[in-house]
Amino acid sequence: MAERHCVIIGNGPAANEAALTLREKDTDLRITMIGKERVGCYRTHLLPNYIIGKTREEDLYVHPTDFYADKNIKLRLGQPVKSVDFSKHEIVLDHKEIVKYHGLIIATGGKPRIPEPFLVFSDIFLTLKTVADANAWIKKLKQIDSVLLVGGDLTSFVFADALIKMGKTVHFVLNDESFWPIRCTPEIFNQATGALSAAGVQVVPCQRLKRLAVQSENSVHVETDSVSLTVGAVGAFFGLRPDVSFLARSGLTIEAGIIVDEHLKTDFDNVYAAGDCAQVFHPELKDYWVSIGYSNAKNLGRIAALNLLGGTFEAEMAPTKIFQMDGIKFNTSWWTEF
Amino acid sequence: MSHDKSSKAYSDTPSQPEQKVFYSTDPADFFYMSVNVPCQDYCPAKTNVPAYIRAIYESKFSSSYEINRMVNILPGVLGRICSRPCEDRCRHGEKELGRSVNICHLKRAAGDHKSVGHIYEHQLFAPNGKRVCVIGSGPTGLAAAHDLSMTGFHVTILEAYDEPGGMLRYGIPDFRLPRDILTSEIDAVLRMGVDLKTKVVVGKDVSMEQLLTEYDAVLVSTGCYASRALNEPGEDLPGVYSGLEFVMEVSAGAKIDLGNRVLVLGAGFTAFDCARYALRLGAEDVSICIRGLEEELTVTADEIHEAKLEGIKIRSLMIPHRVVGESKVEGMEFLRSKPGEKIPNRKRKVTPIPDTNFTLAADAIIIAIGQSAIPIPAAAETDESGVLKTDPETFRSTAKGLYAAGDYITGPSTVIDCIAAGRKAAEQIARDLLGRKFREWVVSIQETKITDRERSWDYIPRVEMPKVESIEERLNPPDTEVELGFSNSESLEESKRCYLCYLHYEIDMNRCIYCRWCIDEAPRDCIKLVENVTLNEDGAVIGLTESSSWNKVNAVVIDNTQCIRCGACLRVCPMDCISVSKVQLIEKTVSVGEQNG
Repeated sequence: MAERHCVIIGNGPAANEAALTLREKDTDLRITMIGKERVGCYRTHLLPNYIIGKTREEDLYVHPTDFYADKNIKLRLGQPVKSVDFSKHEIVLDHKEIVKYHGLIIATGGKPRIPEPFLVFSDIFLTLKTVADANAWIKKLKQIDSVLLVGGDLTSFVFADALIKMGKTVHFVLNDESFWPIRCTPEIFNQATGALSAAGVQVVPCQRLKRLAVQSENSVHVETDSVSLTVGAVGAFFGLRPDVSFLARSGLTIEAGIIVDEHLKTDFDNVYAAGDCAQVFHPELKDYWVSIGYSNAKNLGRIAALNLLGGTFEAEMAPTKIFQMDGIKFNTSWWTEF
Repeated sequence: MSHDKSSKAYSDTPSQPEQKVFYSTDPADFFYMSVNVPCQDYCPAKTNVPAYIRAIYESKFSSSYEINRMVNILPGVLGRICSRPCEDRCRHGEKELGRSVNICHLKRAAGDHKSVGHIYEHQLFAPNGKRVCVIGSGPTGLAAAHDLSMTGFHVTILEAYDEPGGMLRYGIPDFRLPRDILTSEIDAVLRMGVDLKTKVVVGKDVSMEQLLTEYDAVLVSTGCYASRALNEPGEDLPGVYSGLEFVMEVSAGAKIDLGNRVLVLGAGFTAFDCARYALRLGAEDVSICIRGLEEELTVTADEIHEAKLEGIKIRSLMIPHRVVGESKVEGMEFLRSKPGEKIPNRKRKVTPIPDTNFTLAADAIIIAIGQSAIPIPAAAETDESGVLKTDPETFRSTAKGLYAAGDYITGPSTVIDCIAAGRKAAEQIARDLLGRKFREWVVSIQETKITDRERSWDYIPRVEMPKVESIEERLNPPDTEVELGFSNSESLEESKRCYLCYLHYEIDMNRCIYCRWCIDEAPRDCIKLVENVTLNEDGAVIGLTESSSWNKVNAVVIDNTQCIRCGACLRVCPMDCISVSKVQLIEKTVSVGEQNG
């Protein structure tokens, strides 16, 4: 009988936990992880500290490079997946190589979310999700004194604090788009304004970013419906959205993320999704939810792996709080991790 | 080793002698066209896409407009609002070939840049003394009236509303379709001698019996003007609007105060139009609520993108359950939905998940979940809803001389579908009344030398339609046309991207020396060493059996379904054994002497 090959698309916490679980339960299984970034699994929440020099780059990484070889897990980095043909059990990589699989776990995580009305500013915005993003910030911050942050996810609060500690002037736009996936209520708005102001951040209350104009490499002119200002860079912090665009029209059911059942199984046999890219209907919550966060992702990665091996474990539903935004419920334990 | 013979120049210049044109009605040739020119095949009106794009490349915008107008009387309109089935099938959009050509917006460019003194080309048949009445002046009625008039009939259009155009005028927002463009293209139909009588309602101002007595034939093309109801509690509360009526009222100039929070129920173009109109009426929080998944919406990806860009949210997997409110709308209660199994080429079923009720607050709710035809009283067989029953091939009803076409019989479709249907109905009416055919589809085959496409053009990024970027400028004034149109140079650049799939490359095996230079030069797997060719029952090639053994190779064949018409093989061939012909599916006027039954 041919060697059974399980492939995991992704290299974040869900993907790594899935791979380790597979290896733990089946020592003979051929396991391949395919990540689109060129670096190993890292702790995203340490990136603000890395930018300001409080965390060393090597401390970002979860496992040393020889870890995967020791576990007999093939780790392929810097190889984006172009598409998946579920009928043929084939993964097509960007460089046109085809990888066959018997079992598949999709754990691609999230990518920075830019709301459509702000897409015209995409080329100007800097985001903070990857080590590459962090390195871009490090380079930029050496040349500028002021930053405007828009969006208002939790990373932006941590980052604003880090920037203040670096001695930078930080402007922070608060409006209805802030705090995604939580709806911005007057109460949250006032709390956030107070906390940011106390930390030395200049809060810009406005409803709409009207215009961003690059004046020079390190100068962006910003016009809002309330004020105009010039800053060195503009950071977009609108949260994350599931990174599943490469699966569009693949036959998978995709809404915000890949819709899976409580066992994290997709529409296709032996194909599971876990972590930030999976959207689960949970009978107790009576709604779909997307789990965000490191420990949630690890839990889901483990469950997907166990079920791929024949288990019938249900995705854990133990969020301390549920937030709802755009009709999607989010497991928010991530918010409490920082 | 380079085999390039740069001294050999090919062009499509007028100085070359005219090549003889052959016309074929062989089914194998029609099959070839359907496979090899997919853009034209998927256009319901069979627009000759490569020909009009090539004309734009040659800066012949007026010719390009007329090539469109041969089968589509509204190029300026469709260049803005077509559903673009052609672009889904454009070979440039195939896997590994990049993105489809911006066919629709090139059509608009043909209209925008045609000469000021543009001359319409008409092949007019002599008046035949017969009279036809067309009920409805939407795209189906206008297309039928135009063709019938060209065929020599005296045509009268009866229109229930104040102005002609039907859904084009009353169902499509002016920020997508400026009314001067529409009026100008309708005028081009009316000036053919078509009588237009507005504010005439058949069944009220005049009976069908009267019309059938007065005219030799009557064509019903009244479209779909009955809005489908939600049939859920609270639907009659103030603040609940029917999508179609809402769009029609706003299009007619009504200023409706919707409040801030608007929910639009529906997943089609009308729902998107309602949502974008709502923003222009001052609403700030507008959501389109759909039962299924955004990925499976049938509106164009561009439409979804533009709506989101303007700030509209699309909320999926929710089924409307009841309107919430006491004396007016306060919100909408939904149930979560579960997508069913995905079956190819079929709409996915979604089912409500019991006990998942949730409510979204709203100041207004617009229901745009579908439309149907309004029956017209007539002494002919009808379906259970009272709509005329017709033969889908002949458009004939059970009453002599009474025909129906377009959305009235099919339900809501697209504008280009309606134009195609109107033309087909016109041809059928003409044949029935005069006993002969006037136009027929043929495959024209003509030797040509168009090989001036450069391989580098395949890497030109798709030229996107320039748009008003500032959302505030879009909304003020609200009728600001969002799409700005291609400039002359943008049109030229985008036209270069078309592969010109109507060119047919062929190797003359009597002269081929099997040198394989063409295969070495080919940019992809488009020239094949073939052991056997499979034909269908009409004699059309449907398969090639390749061979890697030289002793089994019987021919070197250009696979036109893979060929990207770069001309590299032709330029490199040392034996000049590769020929190019222009094969086009065209509609040819049939003179009396050419009748073949």
